[in-house]
Amino acid sequence: MSPYDSATSAGSSSGSSSASSSTKPADIDGLLAGAGYKVRSSDLCHVAQRLERLETAMVNSPVELSQLASSDTVLYNPSDIASWVDSLLSEFNHTPSLPSDLPDLPDVVVGPGINPTVINEADATWTDHDAPQQQQQQNVQSLTIPPNQLTVVTAMEEDSGIRLVHMLMTCADSVQRGEFSLAGSLIEDMQSLLRRVNTTCGIGKVAGYFIDALSRRIFTPQANGLFGGSASGSASAFENELLYHHFYEACPYLKFAHFTANQAILEAFDGHDSVHVIDFNLMHGLQWPALIQALALRPGGPPLLRLTGIGPPSPDGRDSLREIGLRLAELARSVNVRFAFRGVAAQRLEDVKPWMLQVNSKEAVAVNSIMQLHRLLGSDPNRSPPIGIVLGWIRQLNPKIMTVIEHEANHNQPGFMDRFTESLYYYSTMFDSLEACTLQPEKALAEIYIQREICNVVSCEGSARVERHEPLAKWRSRLGQAGFRPLHLGSNAFKQASMLLTLFSAEGYCVEENEGCLTLGWHSRPLISASAWQAVPDANSPLGIVTL
Amino acid sequence: MAGSNEVNLNESKMVVPLNTWVLISNFKLAYNLLRRPDGTFNRHLAEFLDRKVPANAKPVDGVFSFDVVLDRSTSLYIRIYRQAHGEEPQLNIADLEKPVPAEVVPVIVFFHGGSFAHSSANSAIYDALCRRLVGICKAVVVSVNYRRAPENRYPCAYDDGWAALKWVSSRSWLQSKDSKVHIYLAGDSSGGNIVHHVALRAVESDIEVLGNILLNPMFGGLERTDSETRLDGKYFVTTRDRDWYWRAYLPEGEDRDHQACNPFGPKGKSLEGIKFPKSLVVVASLDLTQDWQLAYAKGLEKAGQVVNLLYLEQATIGFYLLPNNNHFYTVMDEINNFVCSDC
Repeated sequence: MSPYDSATSAGSSSGSSSASSSTKPADIDGLLAGAGYKVRSSDLCHVAQRLERLETAMVNSPVELSQLASSDTVLYNPSDIASWVDSLLSEFNHTPSLPSDLPDLPDVVVGPGINPTVINEADATWTDHDAPQQQQQQNVQSLTIPPNQLTVVTAMEEDSGIRLVHMLMTCADSVQRGEFSLAGSLIEDMQSLLRRVNTTCGIGKVAGYFIDALSRRIFTPQANGLFGGSASGSASAFENELLYHHFYEACPYLKFAHFTANQAILEAFDGHDSVHVIDFNLMHGLQWPALIQALALRPGGPPLLRLTGIGPPSPDGRDSLREIGLRLAELARSVNVRFAFRGVAAQRLEDVKPWMLQVNSKEAVAVNSIMQLHRLLGSDPNRSPPIGIVLGWIRQLNPKIMTVIEHEANHNQPGFMDRFTESLYYYSTMFDSLEACTLQPEKALAEIYIQREICNVVSCEGSARVERHEPLAKWRSRLGQAGFRPLHLGSNAFKQASMLLTLFSAEGYCVEENEGCLTLGWHSRPLISASAWQAVPDANSPLGIVTL
Repeated sequence: MAGSNEVNLNESKMVVPLNTWVLISNFKLAYNLLRRPDGTFNRHLAEFLDRKVPANAKPVDGVFSFDVVLDRSTSLYIRIYRQAHGEEPQLNIADLEKPVPAEVVPVIVFFHGGSFAHSSANSAIYDALCRRLVGICKAVVVSVNYRRAPENRYPCAYDDGWAALKWVSSRSWLQSKDSKVHIYLAGDSSGGNIVHHVALRAVESDIEVLGNILLNPMFGGLERTDSETRLDGKYFVTTRDRDWYWRAYLPEGEDRDHQACNPFGPKGKSLEGIKFPKSLVVVASLDLTQDWQLAYAKGLEKAGQVVNLLYLEQATIGFYLLPNNNHFYTVMDEINNFVCSDC
């Protein structure tokens, strides 16, 4: 039972934590928490002293201040005021005349090219209990991602649009209550109403997809794997890859994911001569050319790069994994990066065993999961969800970094109505963002890609329902409990992501920083989250953890 | 004796609670990093540092919120905050724009502060403030995500405010039982300045604004006033940073006597004879720009306008950001009376 389950009213907006008593955070100032900052009440004095010291440093070194203001100094997790101020303080040269009664600065250096894991030692200064415990407390306190975040992006002028939504809700409600004949007749009403609404954009288009998903649930449950069976119906791996590729082209979500993950991986691999990337879903390997090229340009030369790509088996004797691997090898050769590829064919991620990855002890490992972990949350009543096992063996591998990109949505709630409402909002926003895209057929195929997700969330159950998206706060809790700690993504990654977006995408996409993670959203609604993790050192680990 | 290199931090620490001091000092120092001497602004770092919260249609403490995009090309959106009235815990899209239930419901169009350059409608501090306003005034609050300087100078913020006002006044679901939307404009710092100028635009239209609420509004002028000299650098704010923000907002080449900055100054115009809304002007005695704010209130008074001046002794900027001081409660009460006197 995760602590998040009980946090139904996730604290008041004024910041006092009113989550369940079993997870009351240690002494965090509630009002500052409401403003987005984490400071312990008992630390306020200390933080205030630090702020004073920083101000003095700024005033006494105006040259450094302007350098700092215009430099590319990397900053991390502004919510943690204490460590943020300390990292700034370390940027200034200290004169001996500063008062000596102030406590010593922690051993932290911030600067470009520095391994971000060093910074996290500073984070540990105020969390002096078990890391997982503290993660738990942090998540309950996390007011930045309350449940059921909702953005109505399209102003609903049309009465028909509003009626459609009303009917969708009523229909979903009757489905939840098992009143299938009522639900069925509502489907018919909605389909006729759809004919009077503009379905090429806006609420009409999204409603159309949800009506379709509901009708599948009501009329053809078995065919859609409602009671088990194949998750993607008759969709082939080839189709999935094609749709994915077009989704990649039509909007920036996957590009953001790849870019942010690669940046973090590059930094994690700094100083290592032998590196191994494990990609949980290779697809067409779109993420990797950029990393290969970045490694090629690395000061001091590229490492030996191994890439292990996991993907579904090809049905017709083709070895599509190997084909992708060959193309990537070709690219690597052209830029003089020593490269080796291995494909691991598995229908499901949980079927992969760590020995298949052939990790050797001398290499730095990066595990890359783009929208894969949520698929492991499946609730087969006969077994516990595979997420625990998979996170367990990832931890055993002791990767230098695990990059996790997930939908920023709560589509795994037990109640159907909750899931339905959440996903209606979420996908409305996503479709709205897609409207700016003019590329065809990319846009049309991207819509089908999204539609498949909608169908899975709405019309599937049990092991067939794989799109079990959970928000960042839940992942933080889960990963923390599984023995991982966050590697914070910094202001450099933020800036580059923002800049790329303004260059390549329509107005309206927006990157936000969320306690060391980055989210990409449309206007004010985050839709995708990117985070990076590392295994917490475990004295009992058979691999003998080495940190740095 | 207070040279520019001397840092007088002790005084501000004595007049605000410690967590407020940490909050505002943190902003102050972060903002120092963002303003470049050449007048440019480190927007990426600003957005990285700003703590944001998404809208939440699930009521928290009886208040829910949702966003509406008014203009995609400028990313102009508004965040609407409403009271939940015993609905089920799960609100659906159709409920968001349900007609307001009571006889009279004030609708407060709110402009967040940030000296025209900082913050957004989804900044955590302003999201929290708007939620409190809903609870206290039993109002609908519409927070406007206006374009900011220096990328978008005068009059962009006013244009966006005006667009939001027009939108609000045309929503049938925001009408009270008399089929009219009861609109108040409110804002702090630059938001207060925007209130004045948007109200001015409304005067020439058929949109009625029932009242203006200005919290520590941002006004200025070429002249250096006594309060600016006396309080420079003592309570989180310096005249240098004020000057920087005006340079960033005003059209290039204009000075601080521009009517956006100094509405009753040498280039300003009198509001005599104009049907201007009644105003509540809140001035903090430790705000270095208070002489300009007091001059504003005086200017309204001289023009025969209704103005209620609330002068708070020993209050600094930002006192209303956390509900941990008497000034906060005093001001919230005043605002409540101000918008409810028409109820």
